[in-house]
Amino acid sequence: MLFTLGDYLAGMLVGAVTALGVRMLVKPGMDMVIAMLIGMGLGMVVHFVLGLILSPAIGMFEAMIPASLIGMYGGMFFAMRDSMAAGSRSLTAALAVGALFGLIVVAGVHFYDRTLRGAVVDTGE
Amino acid sequence: MDTATQKKWDKVSRNFDFLTWGDDQRLGPHKRRLFSKMNGAILMLAAGTGNDFRFFPPGHSLIAIDISAKMLERAAGKVKAYDGRIELRQMDACQLEFADNTFDTILTVCTFCSVPKPVLGLRELYRVLKPGGQLLMFEHVRSRIGPVGVFLDLMTLLSRRLGPDLNRDTVGNVLKAGFRIRREENVYLDIVKIIEAVKD
Repeated sequence: MLFTLGDYLAGMLVGAVTALGVRMLVKPGMDMVIAMLIGMGLGMVVHFVLGLILSPAIGMFEAMIPASLIGMYGGMFFAMRDSMAAGSRSLTAALAVGALFGLIVVAGVHFYDRTLRGAVVDTGE
Repeated sequence: MDTATQKKWDKVSRNFDFLTWGDDQRLGPHKRRLFSKMNGAILMLAAGTGNDFRFFPPGHSLIAIDISAKMLERAAGKVKAYDGRIELRQMDACQLEFADNTFDTILTVCTFCSVPKPVLGLRELYRVLKPGGQLLMFEHVRSRIGPVGVFLDLMTLLSRRLGPDLNRDTVGNVLKAGFRIRREENVYLDIVKIIEAVKD
């Protein structure tokens, strides 16, 4: 139960930090493709650093796999919004969107894990 | 002895228990369930710092090997806590110093992500396992989920310098070594797996 909570908190942290980084680097009017590439690169760095820090506490794969998806896709998504000035008006709102994105990705990974878990091959011996 | 691998794991041994704390807590119950199937003459590969000894059912006698002397130094303290007998020996998984058909059960935990020549190592296990003997593995492998698999490929470029590869096809390697898969179970996504194989 505590580990599940930890997964969600970790995902929210990675999402919020990625959104913060993107907000600082990507300005409205920036070329969207460049902005998305910057967001993706930044998200990957954030996921790698935070994933390594969080791994001892919640497990390597449980930390790194959701974080990689949040960093990579979240970074692109936040950068797209910010470059179009279609994103959150305040920094607080941007961080909240980042955290929400992290939460949704972790929930998705948990759901997918549930569907995959269990025997793939079982001869019954 | 593969000295490059030995040195790498000697270095990791200092922080190994700290780095794997979360994994041990989360995956421990699955390991305990797998180890409940061990029987007869038992060999454990890559014992590491002995973190997994606490998941063994009591009363068994086994040999646990590791390539790293520093890992084994740390494991020695945990041997005493086990209600059974564990003999620690420094050995390379690819050059096992045992006769053919010696063991009934061989255990591996996150081992074949790190053995540089995995099929060669698995063939060694095949050699020392008795006919009808079982190979019980708790391993992480490359994911078949598109973006996750690519991510693990990229991470391996870095992770193999510090420790394990993250993109091994261990199930395929087990088959290549001559084993038959008795059971394969996903523990986390399709990355962390229990693999039970048999030497027919």
